[in-house]
Amino acid sequence: MIRYLAKRGITYVFMIFLTTSAGYFLAVSSLKPALLEQERIPRPTPEQVANSMRLKGLDPDLSPWERYVEWLTGIMTRWDWGRSPNGAFINAEFGDRVWISTRLFLASIVLTLVIGVALGVYSAARQYKFQDRVITSYSYLAYIVPAPIAYFLVQLGAININETVGERIFFVTGISTPGMQPGWAQFVDMVAHYAVPTIAITLVGWGSYQIAQRQYLLDNVNADFVRTARAKGLTRNQAITRHALRVSFIPVAQSIAFTIPAIFAGGFFAEKIFAWPGVGSWSIDAISLQDVNAATATLAYGSVIFALGAILADFATTLVDPRVRVQ
Amino acid sequence: MSTFLEPADPAPTAAERLHIAGLHSPSDAVLSVRDLNVSFNSENGAVHAVRGVNFDLMPGKTLGIVGESGSGKSVTSLAIMGLLPATAEISGSVRLKGRELLGLSDKAMCAYRGNDIAMVFQDPLSSLTPVYTVGTQITEALTIHNPGMSKAAKETRAVELLAMVGIPSPRNRLRAFPHEFSGGMRQRVMIAIAIANNPRVLIADEPTTALDVTIQAQVLEVLHTAQEETGAAVVMITHDLGVVAGIADDIMVMYAGKPVETGSVDDIYYDPRMPYTMGLLGAVPRVDVAEKSSLVPIDGIPPNLLHTPTGCSFAPRCPLVTDACLDGEPALSPVPGTGYHQAACIKSASLGGDVDVHEIFSAPPVPVSRFDLIPRGDRSTVLELKDVRKHFPLTKGALLKRRIGTVKAVDGLSFDIREGECFSIVGESGSGKTTTLLEIMEFHKDQDGEVIIGGISNKQAADAKTKSAMRREMQMVFQDPTGALDPRFTVYEVLAEPLQNAGMDKRAIKKRIMELMNLVGLQPDHVNRFPNQFSGGQRQRVGIARALAVNPKLVVLDEPVSALDVSVQAGVINLLDKLRAELGLSYLMVAHDLSVVRHISNRVAVMYLGKIVEIGEVDRVFDNPRHPYTRALLSAIPVPDPQFERTRERIILQGDLPSPLDAPKGCNFATRCPVFAALPAAKQEHCLTLEPPLEAVQPSAAVEILEAGPVPTPDQQFACFFPDGELDEHMLVVHETAEPHAP
Repeated sequence: MIRYLAKRGITYVFMIFLTTSAGYFLAVSSLKPALLEQERIPRPTPEQVANSMRLKGLDPDLSPWERYVEWLTGIMTRWDWGRSPNGAFINAEFGDRVWISTRLFLASIVLTLVIGVALGVYSAARQYKFQDRVITSYSYLAYIVPAPIAYFLVQLGAININETVGERIFFVTGISTPGMQPGWAQFVDMVAHYAVPTIAITLVGWGSYQIAQRQYLLDNVNADFVRTARAKGLTRNQAITRHALRVSFIPVAQSIAFTIPAIFAGGFFAEKIFAWPGVGSWSIDAISLQDVNAATATLAYGSVIFALGAILADFATTLVDPRVRVQ
Repeated sequence: MSTFLEPADPAPTAAERLHIAGLHSPSDAVLSVRDLNVSFNSENGAVHAVRGVNFDLMPGKTLGIVGESGSGKSVTSLAIMGLLPATAEISGSVRLKGRELLGLSDKAMCAYRGNDIAMVFQDPLSSLTPVYTVGTQITEALTIHNPGMSKAAKETRAVELLAMVGIPSPRNRLRAFPHEFSGGMRQRVMIAIAIANNPRVLIADEPTTALDVTIQAQVLEVLHTAQEETGAAVVMITHDLGVVAGIADDIMVMYAGKPVETGSVDDIYYDPRMPYTMGLLGAVPRVDVAEKSSLVPIDGIPPNLLHTPTGCSFAPRCPLVTDACLDGEPALSPVPGTGYHQAACIKSASLGGDVDVHEIFSAPPVPVSRFDLIPRGDRSTVLELKDVRKHFPLTKGALLKRRIGTVKAVDGLSFDIREGECFSIVGESGSGKTTTLLEIMEFHKDQDGEVIIGGISNKQAADAKTKSAMRREMQMVFQDPTGALDPRFTVYEVLAEPLQNAGMDKRAIKKRIMELMNLVGLQPDHVNRFPNQFSGGQRQRVGIARALAVNPKLVVLDEPVSALDVSVQAGVINLLDKLRAELGLSYLMVAHDLSVVRHISNRVAVMYLGKIVEIGEVDRVFDNPRHPYTRALLSAIPVPDPQFERTRERIILQGDLPSPLDAPKGCNFATRCPVFAALPAAKQEHCLTLEPPLEAVQPSAAVEILEAGPVPTPDQQFACFFPDGELDEHMLVVHETAEPHAP
C-alpha cells in the first residue's frame, strides 16, 4: 500500500508540475496587470507602472521564460508563490482563503452525502411509490435549477423567516459579525452565519447522490446474488440491505471521492452569493484583476486537490470492493 | 416412487382412485404441488407462464423438469421458493411436508427457504455476492436458521460443507472471495450453501448449463453426494435431456407453461407418447452413436403465452396434427397399459411401440456430398495451418512493463482441411479454440506460423487485395446470432453488404439474395424484416446466409448452435449438413458440445492448453480415444439414455483447467491426468520432463495378420506416452446402486 501510494504520489506531483507550469505560461502571456495599472487616476506614467511591477516581481519587460524561471526559483527555494499586482503576498492570502472555503463547505458536504445516499436507498426500496416519486422528482429539480437561483431562494426564505419573527435569526451573507467576544455569543453568531449557506448548498447538492445511489441500488436489487441471499432465508429487505447495498455503494464511493475536492476548489457561486471570500471567488477575481501569480496558485491548488481526490477514490474503491487489488 | 396428478377432474383417474383407496397418500410426499398457475401482467396483457403444474416429490427422489426456454420450468421453481416478484399472480397449492407455502408472506416464507427447501441457481458467476468472503456467505445461511449456534461451531460446519463439495484446503478457502474461485468452484460453494441446513428439498435450476463439460461432470457428482449426505429430494431443472437421464427418477416435460408428459425416467426416454417429447429426444445428437442419421427438426417456435391456447399448444408444430387436436387443450391423461406415465396428447395410445420419430417429423435424408466418394488424400486443401503460435506476454507494472510470464494460448498448431470436409476443434474454455479461429481470421504476415487459405499464404498477405481475396474464400458464422446482426439493418441490407463489397451490381445482388433466402430455408418475402422480427434459429439462418453470400469455400463456425434451443438446434444442424453436401463447402467448427461435433464432423481435434492432444477421423477418435484427456472428455458427456447412464463408468477429472501460466514443462495434462496419477514414479518423471509428440496410432499386429500385409495407418494421432496405462481409481465413478425403475 505504501509503495503504491508513493508511486501514485510521484506520478501526480509530476502531473501537477506540468499543469501548473502550463498554466503559468498561459497566465503570464495573456494577463497584463500593467494595463490595468495604467487606467488609474491620476494616470501613472508607463515608467512608474513598470517600476512598481518590477518591485513586486511582475516585471512586464522580461520574457515569459525569464519570469517563469524566476517564479519557479522562488517557489523551489523559498516556497514563495509571488505577489499580487496590489502588493499582497500570495502565500498569506492563500492560507486565509483555503480556510474560509473549507469552513464553508465542510458541513454541507457531510450532510449532502449522508442525506443523498440515505434518500437514494430509501427511494430505491420504494421504487415508483409515492415517496420515491417525490424524492426523485425533487432531485431532478435540484439538478435543473441553476445553483445561484437556488441559493437566492434559500436566502429569501431566511429573510422571510427573519421578518416573520421580527428579529434577525439568520445572517444571509458574511462569515461572522466583527468584534464579538469569544464565548457563547460568538458561537450563536457563528451558527447564525453558517445555517443559510450550509442549508442552501446541501439542498442543492444531495440530488445527484440520491439519483446515483438509487440507480445503482436498483441495478442490484434484482441481481442473482440477492436472489441467492433470499433463497438462504433472508427477507427481500434484509437481502437488499446486507448484499445489494454494499455492492451498489462501490461506484458511489468512487464518485464521492472525486467530487469532494471539486467542491472545495470551485464553489464560486456560493462564495460570491453568501459573501464568503474563499478560493473559488479568488480564482475568478484573479483573472479579472490580471493577477498572474494568484491565478496560477489557484490552478495549482485545484490540481493538488484533484490528485488527492483520485487517490482517495482508489482508496475508497479498495476499501469497499475486495476484487480490486492494490499493487 | 412419486406420482403425477392431473388437475381436478370430475371422473377420478387411476392415480386418484389409488389416493382415495389410501394406497399411497400424498402425505408421504415431501413436496406436493397442485394446479400451480403463474401469470405476469405485461403491457400486452397477462402472460400465463405456468399453467396447471402438478407433482408429488417423494423423499430422497429426484424429479427432472425438462423444457426449452420459455416453457415455464424456472418460473415453477421460483414460485415454489416464493421468489417471484410481487407482481406475479400465483394460484394453486404448494405443500412442503403438508404445510401450505403459497400465500405466505415473505417473512413467513423465510423460515422454510434455505432451511427445509433450498435452491441452486444457474449462473454461479453472478449468484454469489462479490464483496463478501465465501465463508461469510456460508455462515450466513447457518446463522439465519440457527441463531444460537456458536461462532466456532459455524466455522466447523462451513469447513465440513466445503470439504463435502470437494473444495481443497477448505479452512483456508473460507476467507477467499468469490472472484478467486473458478465457475465450477463457485457452483460447489452454491451447493454448499444450499445444503447447509440439511434441506428436505433441493431445487437445482440448470446448475451446470454455464459450465464446461468436465466441470459439469464434477458438479453433478457433487450434487449426487449432497443428495446422499442429506437425503434431500431433488428437483432438477434442465433443458439437457442427457443431464437428467442418469440422475432422475421421474421426468416432467414442460411445453408452453404446461406439463405435457410425465412419468418415470424409463417411460419418457424409451416410450415417449407425446410428439413433442419424441421430437426433443430425436433432436439431440448422440455422442456415443456413430451411425449417421439426420436429426429430428421441430419446425416453428413455441407459442406466445399471452393467448390462452384453444387447442393443443404444440399443434402448430406437430406433424401429426388433426382437427381434433385443435378442439380444446388435452389434459394429462394416463397412457394405457402403463403405471403412472401420463401424456397430454389425444393420440398417446397409438404412439407407443415402434413408431419411428424420424418418419413422423419427416427428418430429411442424410445428404451425400460429391466429395464423400473421393479419398481424402485426393481432395485439394482449403485451409492449412503450419506450426501456428500465439503467445501473449504477461506483464507487470504500469510505466515500465516487466515480462513475468507467457500465456501460450496457441502453441504450435498444425492441421489441414480438405474440400467438402467438416473439421472440428473441441476442448474446454481456455484451451485455445477461439484464439485459433482469431489467428486464422487475423491473416497477417507477421504471425508466428503459416496460415494458408485457398492457396493464399499469410506470408504473402502484404496488401488489402490479397486479404480480400482470402475473405472471399473464407467466411464466418458467429455464436450469438442476435449480437452478430446489426439490429438496424434489414435482412436485405445484411445480405447485400458482402455482395456490394464484392462489386456486384444491384440486379445481381437482388437475385443472389433471393437465392440465399431459399438456400437457408427462409421465406424470400421476409427480406425487408429486421433481425428482431425473427426467432433465434431464423437469425442464425440469416447469419449462415450472410456467410454464404460470396460463395466461400470454407465457413468457420464458432459455436453455431450453442445459443439455440434443442428443437431449433436440430434444424440448423441439418441445414449445415445439407449445405455442405450441396455446395461442397468445408467447415471449420469450434464447439463445446461433443455430441454436435460427432454428428456433423468428419475429423476432429481435441485441444488442451493450446496444443492438439488428439486428432483424427471423428468416429475413430470418439469410439477409440487414445489420449486420457479425450477419454475423460468423452466420458463426461451425458447421454440421453437412462440405462446407459446408470451403468456407465465415468472419469471425473480433478480440479479446473490450470492457468496457462503454470503450464508444466513436460506433458500439459499431467496435473489432471488419470493415467499419470496411477503411474509408477519413474514413468511419471518421463511425463513431467518430456513433451509427448503427436504420433499416429499404429495398426495393431492382429489387424496386419488379418489383412495379410501392411495396412495404411489409420487417421488418428495423439500425444501421450502411456495411452494404455491404468486409470487412477479415485477418478473413476460408477453409480451401480441406481436400480432399474419398475413402472
